[in-house]
Amino acid sequence: MDTMLFTERSIWTMVHGIALGGGALMGLAAALFSLRTMRTVTPSDIAARNQARSLGLLLALTALLLWLAVIIGTYVNFPPYRATPPEGLTDLSQYPRALIRANPGTEWLHSFAMESKEHLPWIAAMLTTAVAAVSLRYRVLVLSNRRLNDMASMLVVVAILLVAFASLLGVFVNKVAPLE
Amino acid sequence: MDAGAGKPSEATNGAALAAILAGGIGAFAMGLVVILNEAGLFAAPSLYAPAGGVSGRTTIAVAIWLMAWAVLHTRWKGRQVEDRPVHAATLALIALGIVLCLPPVWKLF
Repeated sequence: MDTMLFTERSIWTMVHGIALGGGALMGLAAALFSLRTMRTVTPSDIAARNQARSLGLLLALTALLLWLAVIIGTYVNFPPYRATPPEGLTDLSQYPRALIRANPGTEWLHSFAMESKEHLPWIAAMLTTAVAAVSLRYRVLVLSNRRLNDMASMLVVVAILLVAFASLLGVFVNKVAPLE
Repeated sequence: MDAGAGKPSEATNGAALAAILAGGIGAFAMGLVVILNEAGLFAAPSLYAPAGGVSGRTTIAVAIWLMAWAVLHTRWKGRQVEDRPVHAATLALIALGIVLCLPPVWKLF
């Protein structure tokens, strides 16, 4: 009964990757779908105004999820990942970075995967915040102004690719050297 | 780049383009801070020791992004701005920022 299913570090990893990162990915996908399918030529239409308001709130929530994901990832998950093991320790299971770097076959998971994950998701957070701010300020114009809609969609696509890339790399790292 | 001024902000695109271009500047700032660090030209201070230098690098990039947004918003709010060059510059800055954050690129410097 007293056995812990998950450690605190493991729970924070799930909060970072699944709840926040996964939630942001779903939010971005929904926002992109909305941007492309709810375009309108009648900005005075009540339905379009309501859709634009919902889109703005969705993007704001998604931006919040992304900021929480990058902040928790950097300040909660990353420190135990990069902790240096004591000299002579042979069981590196509590030191993911050292464990990954100890094997030439998995070294790339740090030198490429984690090094990329340290910075790229912050770009996604900035871009999503920009689109959210535009959507909240311009509301239905984001759906009726073709050029603004195209640019907002482009930024959301970039954010999706960045978050998906970072998420995939995170899964790889966590499969080989989970924070437990 | 400015084509006019004086219209209400909702009817002009200045504030939108300020947010969009600032996003590109923020992305480029992230890449620039990272590549300068990797090239040994600038080491961002660690703001939270357990996280290491990434805490300083990301904080600097976010600060540059927010400052750029504030300056651009102040200048372009309520104005109609030519959007094509702003969109092109934004996409170029984002692409550069992303590329500079990729470890294989660091080996070139």
